[in-house]
Amino acid sequence: MIGLGVESTAHTFSCAILEKKGKQGKILSDVRKIYRPPEGEGIHPREASRHHVENSAIVLSECLQEAGVTIKDLDIVSYAAGPGLGPCLRVGAVVARSLASYYNIPIYPVNHAIGHIELGKLLTGAKNPLVLLVSGGHTMLLAFLNKQWRVFGETLDITLGQLLDQFGRSLGFASPCGKNIEDLALSTSNYVLLPYSVKGNDVSFSGLLSATKSIVQKSKADACFSLQETAFAMISETVERALSFTRKKELLVVGGVAANKRLSEMLQDVCKRHGCKFFVAPQKYAGDCGSQICWTGLLESQVKKGVSLEETFVTQSWRLDSVKVDY
Amino acid sequence: MKLLKKGAEADIYLTRWDNLPAILKVRKAKRYRNPILDAKIRKQRTIKESQIISEVKSYGIPTPLVYYVNLKKSSITMQEIPGKPVHDLPDSKIIELSTEIGRLVGMMHKNGIMHGDLTTSNFILYKNKVYVIDFGLSQKTIKPEDHAVDLRLIKEILNSAHAKIMESTWKNFLLGYKSVVGPTNYAKITNLVSVIESRGRYATVV
Ligand SMILES: Nc1ncnc2c1ncn2[C@@H]1O[C@H](COP(=O)(O)OP(=O)(O)O)[C@@H](O)[C@H]1O
Ligand SMILES: [Mg+2]
Repeated sequence: MIGLGVESTAHTFSCAILEKKGKQGKILSDVRKIYRPPEGEGIHPREASRHHVENSAIVLSECLQEAGVTIKDLDIVSYAAGPGLGPCLRVGAVVARSLASYYNIPIYPVNHAIGHIELGKLLTGAKNPLVLLVSGGHTMLLAFLNKQWRVFGETLDITLGQLLDQFGRSLGFASPCGKNIEDLALSTSNYVLLPYSVKGNDVSFSGLLSATKSIVQKSKADACFSLQETAFAMISETVERALSFTRKKELLVVGGVAANKRLSEMLQDVCKRHGCKFFVAPQKYAGDCGSQICWTGLLESQVKKGVSLEETFVTQSWRLDSVKVDY
Repeated sequence: MKLLKKGAEADIYLTRWDNLPAILKVRKAKRYRNPILDAKIRKQRTIKESQIISEVKSYGIPTPLVYYVNLKKSSITMQEIPGKPVHDLPDSKIIELSTEIGRLVGMMHKNGIMHGDLTTSNFILYKNKVYVIDFGLSQKTIKPEDHAVDLRLIKEILNSAHAKIMESTWKNFLLGYKSVVGPTNYAKITNLVSVIESRGRYATVV
């Protein structure tokens, strides 16, 4: 089976081609173009969608070329149907829909968040993990039970990605700013106490965001370092709580923030205490990409026929814990 | 000393106190956490837990007796409740006990206490009585918003770990809870639970 996956939930427009043989999956190509808002500004949905429209044709043709396949070789087409920004989502859906109807290829709407998890499992070999999904759109702890991903913890306000981005932007970085903050944090080890808010298995970041902004004047580096130390410790503690409660023996970290080395280091220490294996999605595939959509579509195609064109919806707030997983 | 369990944050040992079996709960230093932050959290929670675990007894909530608190080591020695965590009981029993759990939570809230960590591992059934443990995240607060956070957490746990029996356990929990806090508070707090949920659910993706 050969599939094409189209991702366009937020900053990234990406197309990928994967080949599935039995349980094995192979990434043949994964091409991306990332919209970068002006420094210090957040993502503007209309601008981002314009970027996606302008780049869709070139990304698609590059991804076919790199994989060495033609559109006629495709067995299925999948697209990210949510959650995400409406105008961005629609670009990906239109690309997928056009291909599906013109070439008569079965089409699959895919939940973007489940895509992160499934690709993470494919690339790391994790079997039955507790999943930490940390990105711009999500901060969630999940475990699979009775055919659905269940939420064992999440943020009560903003996500970890939003925390880092909103703070980074206040320093004048261009988002996504995770990498800038991580680099600046490495230059110091001077910790300033910041509000730490763990509520059972859940976290709340909004108080931390405003408190960190208020200590920037003294030292930007100290602020970055202290922000990371505090936010990641909160995440690590909720992971620890969820591991102890679910008794899972694997932890899988996926999503854009999974690329952060300090976060991984802390989580590895958590895993040690609980005799748990640690898996993190490879840096290149931790963030948004076509492969996550393509692979999930291929898995779906094992148990489902594609949907009719009328059902090729997009849903901005499509919760992953509402999706039945039958494969 | 025998390590009994690794809890959500502490190590639990079986020990003796005055020749009685007892539990030693130690909040060990966490290497991943910055030492300044770590020390502050462990000390704060040890103090909170030992205070509130005793205070709620006077409101009629069964909790372990605290024997000894060692702030230097962030440890608490307390009475052993040799029953089973509700989490590990058969589904039918959990459904049945949910009303009582709701009642206990209602009693805490009515007396201005938020538990802060309402999972089914933090209730122990012993001799037909439900004991509440693990007060490290508890707080003295009469704010309905805080009480709603408590309810949302137990709902999240029922909806995940106990998904199969979510409906009946949640219904029973709310029955017990309402019977203690009364219909007005009940309506206010359950409304706030929906507010918190919708905040997470429609969190804008940026
Ligand atoms: N007093 C006690 N009597 C019997 N078992 C206990 C007692 N205290 C804790 N435990 C057991 O240890 C586990 C973890 O203890 P807990 O106080 O909840 O620590 P943590 O904060 O790490 O979760 C509990 O779920 C329970 O099974
Ligand atoms: Mg506990």
